[in-house]
Amino acid sequence: MLDRESTFADPAIVKLLQTRFIPVAIDQAYQRRQNDNEGKFYQKIANQGPRKIGRGTTQGLYTADASGRLLAFTNNRGATRVLGMMNGALKKHRPVKAAAIAKGTPDARYNPKPPKGGLVVRVTSKVLGGYEEPDNEFRRIYQTSLGRDNLWIRADEHSALTKGQLPPSLMKRLARFHLVDNTRGEPPMWEPNEIKKLEGTLRNGQLHATVHLRTAKGDRGYETELLGRIETKAGKVTRLDLVAKGEFWGEGTYTRRAPKDRFPLAIAFTLADGKDAADTIPPQGSRGWVRGYIR
Amino acid sequence: MKALGLGLGLLVASAFGLTEEEFLKLHRELQADPSATWRTIPWKTSVLDAQAAAAREGKPIFIWAMDGHPLGCT
Repeated sequence: MLDRESTFADPAIVKLLQTRFIPVAIDQAYQRRQNDNEGKFYQKIANQGPRKIGRGTTQGLYTADASGRLLAFTNNRGATRVLGMMNGALKKHRPVKAAAIAKGTPDARYNPKPPKGGLVVRVTSKVLGGYEEPDNEFRRIYQTSLGRDNLWIRADEHSALTKGQLPPSLMKRLARFHLVDNTRGEPPMWEPNEIKKLEGTLRNGQLHATVHLRTAKGDRGYETELLGRIETKAGKVTRLDLVAKGEFWGEGTYTRRAPKDRFPLAIAFTLADGKDAADTIPPQGSRGWVRGYIR
Repeated sequence: MKALGLGLGLLVASAFGLTEEEFLKLHRELQADPSATWRTIPWKTSVLDAQAAAAREGKPIFIWAMDGHPLGCT
């Protein structure tokens, strides 16, 4: 989210991306492994940069022509460096005659789709307080940012919700994979045995739940309550608005610099309408093992 | 519309002070801003869609490649 509020908030970069480039955003952890045309095209480009396929992350910003020839690369997020990289690419770029590459059969492992008949729910999170005064702009961005993910609900769970039932499988998925602090990066998810309390009721469309999550060492946890409202029409959920608010503590390898001690964390859920490109992104918790996420 | 709910007025205050009023306030505040600058960029989510557009429009492709999807969780 740092890039969203810094690099991609720079007016000159935004203008170039809107007018002179074809911008695409991808999860390289998938793309560098995909055994399909989508993956192969990305791998061809990435292999021309300093970060080769098969040697760990290929994270960064790439520019390439339609044939897949790399024009420029940077893994720096400073606006000046990125602008320099983009302008250099534009100078190098010569439109090439290239046919559109057929997508072929997607590598199913890296192309999970939301369950048929199920629901996609947007999940956003925010730390409500507890940070020390930021000492630079990047840290301020982290401290005020929204985490974003999607919750997938199975068709049978969707059906149960329309009948006023609260499926345990859904509550467990919600707790393990979505009651996380993802405001500063990729968060660790909760193991099943880290769910210490999971109680919820759905009465007359009103959801109330209490969830306690804690690692064995006790160095990370979240004690929270959820309130929400679910409405249905003609056998479908038409509204699913939830809010979790509670106290979180600790951090993960990629979510360093959490507030010290316990801090308030809120997480909101609302049905996706498909208008946001991010609505199509698989849940973070499904990466690598969709069946483990959706069971 | 068949609403299963009886109304938010029945929501009770929780141990963390999550009242009806705060539920509504937080739910509103935690929605992503659709007018955020980075959202005005016409991001595609497939490099092959980008390749086809690049071939058609004679423009270079710009790839934002992250650990975790840049439009999602990271």
